[in-house]
Formats: sequence, structure tokens, C-alpha cells
Amino acid sequence: MGARSWLCATVAVLPLLGVSPPVGAQQTLESLPPEAKLEVSEEHTTARLGEPKPHWVYVLDPVFPHLIASKVYVIDGDSLSILGMINTGYVPNLGLSPDARQLYVAETYWSRGTRGERTDVVTFYDGDRLEAVGEVELPRGRFLVVPKKPDAAVTPDGRYLLSFNMDPATSVSVVDLAERRYVADIDSPGCSLVFPTAERSFAMLCPDGSFVDFTFSADGKAEAKMNQPFFDAEEDPVFEHGVVSHADRRAFFVSYEGVLYEVDISQGRTQLAESWSLLDAKDQAAHWRPGGWQLLAYHASTDRLFVLMHRGPRWTHKHGGEEVWVFDVSRNQRVARIPLEHHAISLAVSQDSSPLLYALSESASLAVFDGTSLKAMGVMEGIGDSPFLLYVPGE
Amino acid sequence: MTTISFFDRGVERLSRFLAQRSSRRSVLARLGTLLAGGALVPLLPVDRTGGGRRARAEAFAAGAQTKDPTQCNYWRYCAIDGYMCSCCGGGPNTCPPGTQPSPSSWVGSCINPDDGQAYLIAYRDCCGKDSCGRCACLALEGEMPVYRPQLNNDIVWCFGAPSMVYHCSSAALIGRA
Repeated sequence: MGARSWLCATVAVLPLLGVSPPVGAQQTLESLPPEAKLEVSEEHTTARLGEPKPHWVYVLDPVFPHLIASKVYVIDGDSLSILGMINTGYVPNLGLSPDARQLYVAETYWSRGTRGERTDVVTFYDGDRLEAVGEVELPRGRFLVVPKKPDAAVTPDGRYLLSFNMDPATSVSVVDLAERRYVADIDSPGCSLVFPTAERSFAMLCPDGSFVDFTFSADGKAEAKMNQPFFDAEEDPVFEHGVVSHADRRAFFVSYEGVLYEVDISQGRTQLAESWSLLDAKDQAAHWRPGGWQLLAYHASTDRLFVLMHRGPRWTHKHGGEEVWVFDVSRNQRVARIPLEHHAISLAVSQDSSPLLYALSESASLAVFDGTSLKAMGVMEGIGDSPFLLYVPGE
Repeated sequence: MTTISFFDRGVERLSRFLAQRSSRRSVLARLGTLLAGGALVPLLPVDRTGGGRRARAEAFAAGAQTKDPTQCNYWRYCAIDGYMCSCCGGGPNTCPPGTQPSPSSWVGSCINPDDGQAYLIAYRDCCGKDSCGRCACLALEGEMPVYRPQLNNDIVWCFGAPSMVYHCSSAALIGRA
């Protein structure tokens, strides 16, 4: 409704309410200089996102005080502005297609808000309009937990979404994204989370400190291969948030005590390549340790691994990072330390050749750094209620 | 949750038994799976005894108190995560009205600073309403990643309750550690 028509409508309604319009209102409006008048008629449009950019970052906010009403924000890392938002359900997980034009949300709803029939679903979103365009139900449900990235993952070719489920038996639900259909659940021998290792294979972490490797076919039939433990699950477990680089065909996991495990996935299964400590004797004496939530980020083309670090005793493994430590994993060397004004729980780095590093704080702010020079580029405050996870295109 | 109706208090009793009996590096970690009700139920490693864990629990106990369960330093909360039921109309072993305690839980071990003894604590969630939103606490003594689920505090511990909607976190005593 334009400004003039709104005014006319108001004037027309006022006598019905027993209120007289102010005498001379029309003359006052007409006597205003042209530059003081509002545009009398304008389109009211809906924005679209357009082609995804490498510097967009998708922030998942589980909204802890209202878990049934979570959100995903799309943020432009260059301008530090919000481009749009998606409403998501109970403890959701996000997946991006390889070109980031499609977004997938694994989420849970009840028909009466917190009551009624439970539905677990993968909802498809058009990444341009941020509108839901389809869904696939997950008949066996999904894992309900404070959202972690490896709860669900898209295969590197973008064909399947794999959604971990614990009810409390463990399985992985396979969704065909091209045909938009549920394929099957693959039962797991008590192992958890899902890390794609190739187009039709994935690994899970087991309670004894090993991976189990699965391959699956289009009909959901799967084969499992158990492996020997590669870390001590009792004394020094690895954090759930490893990073998998399909560009480099390798994955990185870090333990509570700062041991980095590099895992070769070039054969579509997990093979430990090497392990080394991120901490030297001096760091250990100062009680530095990794911690946070999504505490690792990896930039494939420069071999740089970013790790959130804080000082503290054991059992502070979810404390926010005071610094980001930057490692060159081709030389197994730390190359830089970035102090953080706001302690961060999650990290991500864009995968382009001019990368941006994002650090999400405990106080809902996003700090952005040049991923090469490590110079601070800006901070965006007030992102939702309790943002927790970061996703970038082409991970 | 009809699909997991088999998952009843027996599992917690089993956990409790294992917690009291299992050795530090339990062979149970290697046990495979148990076929029950047509579903694969993992038999999870349970290790909550031993000197190491006691040493860890002592760090929390050093600053703990036994009088006020609305505070994060209440002695039973040494490994709790979430909104405290004591701030939401319930208590350490009472769910707020209209919510139900989960029959499943993970089990931690905390030291009561008054008597210096370690006790087993069942970290059961109260389920059936949206988040209480008050008195958020996070303690991490002995907390493990989710691939060791029975030592993880991120999971919605409502398995077997009428609803999987998390409301608040409780900490019921279930025995001596």
C-alpha cells in the first residue's frame, strides 16, 4: 500500500471511529516541498540470494532456550551482514550441496509443537529463495543431541545425505538427494557419527577408539569393515569434530590432549597416516589444550589447519578457545597464533584462494580473519540466541 | 517411543552394575552387540570407577556445596549439562510438573564434599516440554565424546520416556561409587 493510499484509507476510517481528521491535513501534505515527500508508490519485493559465494557462511543456531524452534542464518563474510534465515526444527543438522545451491536440513518436529506425533525429516531448501521445496521422511528417526556437524553429512558427489541415528541402537539413514527418497538404514555395531570417505563410503567412530568403514550401494546394502583402534578412547579420546577434506582425500582428528591424527581416505576407507602432538613441552607446561565445539578447520589448498586452543586442566574440553593456532600440516609445524577477543567455540574457513577464517564466540558473535595474512577483518555481533555450528560452501 | 519400549530401567541397572564391577579398562568395551527386539543395541563400555576418575571428580568437589541445587556447583552436578530442574519446578531427583524422568540415563560419579565419598549419579533428563531455559550449567568431569554415549552429556537423555523433548537436567543418586 503506498503512502498516499494509506493516508486516504486512514482518513476514510477515522469518521467511523468517531474521530475527526485534523483540519487542513491535506493542505499540509501538499504544501510540503517535493524532496520531503515519500515516494508515493514503490514495489515491495522479496530478496533472493543469487549465486552462492565462497565467502558465505551458514550459521546453525539450535536456540537452546527454545530448542523446538531453531534457525540457520546465511551470512556474507565480506560485508558481515545477514542475507537470510531458515527456520529449522528440533536439534537440526545442515547439509549443503557441493555447489551450495541446495540446502538440506535434517530435523525433528512434533505435530503439536512439543506434543503429538513425531516426524523426522530431511527438508530440501532452494538456496536462492531459502524456501522449502521438498522433504524426505526418516522413518527410523535421527540422533537427538546438541547439534554436531558429523551427525549428518552429504557425500562428496552430492548424491546422498547420510544421517546418523541413535535410538539408542545406532544406524545411518541414507537419503537419495537426487531422487528425493529414503533408501535405507544401515545398522552400525555401536559406532557413532558419520564421516564420508568417498562417494559411496563413510566411516564411523567406535567406542574402542577405532573407525568402522562402510561401503554402500544404491539400494542401501552395506558392507562394514572393522579396524584396529588408532587412539586410546579411555585416556585420550578424539573430539567428534574432525574435519574431512575431500579435495585432499584426508581427514584430521584431534584428541583431548592435543594429539593430531591424520587419516588417509584416498582409498575410500580410513587409514591412519600419522599422528603428532600439537603441543611442545612449553605449551604443555602452560596447560594449553584444544577445546570448544567445532574446534578444527582446514584449508585444503594451503595445508593449513586451524585449531581452537585454551589454557586449562583436563575436563575443560568444551571451553571456548582463547586463541586459534595455525598449523602447516605439510611440515607438522605451527606457523601462527591468533588471539581472540571473544573466546570461540567453533571455527570454519572458506575454501577459495582468498580464504576467510570465521570464529564463532560463546556470546553469539562472529569474528572474521583474512585466512592468509590472519589479519582481523571485523566482528559481527548478535547472531541469534546461541549459534553453535558453521558451514561453508565446498567443504 | 514404542520402538524402544524394550529399553527400560534394566539398562540403567545394568550400567550401575557395570559401573560398580567393571575394571578400569573394561573388556566390555570390546563386546559386540546384543540383539533385542529386532534392533541392534550396543553394549557400551562402562567405566566409572578406578582411581583416575576419582581424581577427576575431586577437582569439582573442591569447589562444590551440598545445600543449593539451583547452583552449578551443587555437588551432584560434576558432569551435568543443561538447564537445572531445580530452577524449573523440580529438583535433583524430581521432574517439574508435566514432565517425565527418562528411564535411561548416563551415569557419572561425583564426590560429596561433606563426607568425602563418591556416589553414582544418574543424569536423567526430564522430558516432555520445551527447554526450561533457566540455570544453565556445564560441567565436564569424565565427560566423553558421543561415540561413548553412556559418558556423554550432549545427548537428549529421554530414551524410553513418553517424549523425546528435553526440558531440564536432573541428577539422581543411585548408589555408592
